Amino acid sequence: MTTSVGVAPATVTPAPAVRRAGWRSRLEGETTPARLRLLLALLILLCLAWGALAALTADQHASAAADVVAVSEPLSLDAEQIYTSLSDADAIAASAFLAGGLEPAEARQRYQADIAQAAVRIEAASALVGSSAARTEMPGHPAGQTPAAGSAVGDDLAILSGQLPVYTDEVGTARADNRLGLPLGAAYLREASALLRGTLLPAASDIYTRESAQLTSASAQATGLPLIVIAVVAGLALGYVLYRSSRWLSRHTHRVVNYGLLLAGLAGLVSLVWLASAFVIGRGDLLHAQQQGSAPVQAFARAEVAALRAHADESLTLIDNKGDDSYQEDYLAQQKLLGPGPGSLLAATGSSQAAAQAQAWYQAHKALREQDDAANHPAAVTSAQTGDAARSFARLSATLSEGIGTHQATFAASARGGRDAFTGLAVGMIVASLVMVAGCVWGLSRRLAEYR
Amino acid sequence: MNARPRPGVPWRRALLVVLAASGLALGAAAAAAAPGQPPVVHAARAVSAPAAGTCDPTASSLRPYGPPQVTSGSFMAKVRARGYLIAGVDQNTYRFGFLNPLSGQIEGFDIDMIRAVANAIFGNSDPKTVHFKAISDAQRIPSVTSGAVDIVAHTMTITCDRLKDIDFSSVYFNAAQKVLVLKNSSATSLDDLHGQKVCATSGSDSLDRIKAHQAVPVAVAGWTDCLVLLQQGSVTAISTDDSILDGLAAQDPWTKIIGKPLTSEPYGLAISKQHPEFVRFVNAVLQQLRTDGQWKASYAHWLGNPVPPPPQAKYAG
Repeated sequence: MTTSVGVAPATVTPAPAVRRAGWRSRLEGETTPARLRLLLALLILLCLAWGALAALTADQHASAAADVVAVSEPLSLDAEQIYTSLSDADAIAASAFLAGGLEPAEARQRYQADIAQAAVRIEAASALVGSSAARTEMPGHPAGQTPAAGSAVGDDLAILSGQLPVYTDEVGTARADNRLGLPLGAAYLREASALLRGTLLPAASDIYTRESAQLTSASAQATGLPLIVIAVVAGLALGYVLYRSSRWLSRHTHRVVNYGLLLAGLAGLVSLVWLASAFVIGRGDLLHAQQQGSAPVQAFARAEVAALRAHADESLTLIDNKGDDSYQEDYLAQQKLLGPGPGSLLAATGSSQAAAQAQAWYQAHKALREQDDAANHPAAVTSAQTGDAARSFARLSATLSEGIGTHQATFAASARGGRDAFTGLAVGMIVASLVMVAGCVWGLSRRLAEYR
Repeated sequence: MNARPRPGVPWRRALLVVLAASGLALGAAAAAAAPGQPPVVHAARAVSAPAAGTCDPTASSLRPYGPPQVTSGSFMAKVRARGYLIAGVDQNTYRFGFLNPLSGQIEGFDIDMIRAVANAIFGNSDPKTVHFKAISDAQRIPSVTSGAVDIVAHTMTITCDRLKDIDFSSVYFNAAQKVLVLKNSSATSLDDLHGQKVCATSGSDSLDRIKAHQAVPVAVAGWTDCLVLLQQGSVTAISTDDSILDGLAAQDPWTKIIGKPLTSEPYGLAISKQHPEFVRFVNAVLQQLRTDGQWKASYAHWLGNPVPPPPQAKYAG
């Protein structure tokens, strides 16, 4: 036992030394030209490997950033627009109906604009889904999840484009009956609203949720760290190899500077700095796009949709009070969702202006309900159409729309900035690695030539 | 229109189900015995005869003490002091109680009855003397018993079952269940719609009768919703009180009412059992309407000519 313990280190420790000695002695044993050739081959290999790794990294980030801008952004913008346009149509159709046969021209125009907007956006989103499905079929993209998500969005879009005409048809019948003074019109409007809320809005919401998730994942891919860290470490390692090589050369060739290796080193440094700074800038822009852009847009959009739904409820209660108070109950449910209490949709927007306006609207709505319950239906209708409730809702709606617009612009600008930071980066990495190879070849071949 | 008993009284519901089932069997037997005869009438009688020995729904109300008078300390005096009468009404039944899109007011035959009661209480026809509260079919009895409304005018059939919870005025309108189909339909009665979809509101007895006739019942929230389904081709027919069907047919000239009366549906105004003096007061008002021509004028205005004679009042005591 004791002997084996004593012997074991003696036999094991020398092994690496021997191996290193063997490697070194083999190198020492070679002639200088042979060693130079070996070094050249090694440097070429390393430069090309670095170039490939840097280009791959650049391409990954660039394509993810391009995805954020090119597909995810427009698609989630379309989904958001479909969602809010349809919600607005619901509210406006009910409000216009409330006015009776002589509905205000501007309400009619706004309803038509909402429907046209929704139709255009559905078509645009369908085209984008088609193109992104084509993209996902290309090699290099993970085949597992994206096509499935794309087809689910496709199904939702099919529901939207199929049911939108049914909805407008029902609203049209409701208007026609209402114009004749028939209570049947209210039943058609109720059915239309139920179709919108039960089928169209869930489909739009589903697209929006999926697209937001896709946007977040594309953004996360563009701003993710692992690959860039590997690339930077590899770049630094290559720089160290070049430095050691030039030291070795200066010892063996008695020249202080090898201009070829210096060129290779500078090219490597430039490419490394470019890669790192592009990433830092692009990442900053994309994170800004998310934090100051898409996240607030989402918060404002959700608040606006809830507000629009409550607004539709307000009108529908006045149009068709079946006695079961279902629309008023829904109004109160939306009011609770909207807030502005902690955890509410308005709290998520962080807009104190919107919060104050919402409170004012709730007050006006409460007064309106009291009027209606006290059998003063005409006064309640006036409040909902042109009075306190209408005005206070319009102010809230304007604030929320403005919030969406402002943050949408921030998102667009920052996301484009993020994408542009990666422009030409992959090509630049390849060119830089070729320059490095050329530098190594030039620098070492001049030394080799001296041995001929 | 009849509505099912309120939830919360299961034994009563169970009783009704048993009775309906026996009525169904009776009807089926009648159909087998005499094909061509409408067996439904028998079935309906069986359904509405739970207390056949003691209860006549059309002669259950309290006799008025002469012309309507607001006596001090009475419920009418309280309403007058309050300044307005609270009435539970329908907002979706064309011609009986509906929100007129043109005027923004609730109007109809039922509403005229309420206005007459308010006029008698306040001595003037100021529209502000009535606060209308739109209620659903299912809310009619609870609204009365809880005191949320003073009176309900809501195409409401007087039944013995309901008389256990609330009081009714004398009969102010006689309706009967019939069937509404599209003009090009070849059906002549509910029996011709065997296996086809027929619409009625959830909570109405009309649904049970549709089932009893082997048609497929489709339940919706309101009667106008039924007309939407009929126009969209989702149902073949609508079956309920002819008074309601008339209102639907008036909104769509491409429909027609078919068949013989399947049931008798005497309508009354519902009032809480707490205020018998108000029941007598309302009956006095109705008696005035019958005799001074207002009932006929209202009928002619909302339901058209020819105007039948008003239902004669019968009282229990």
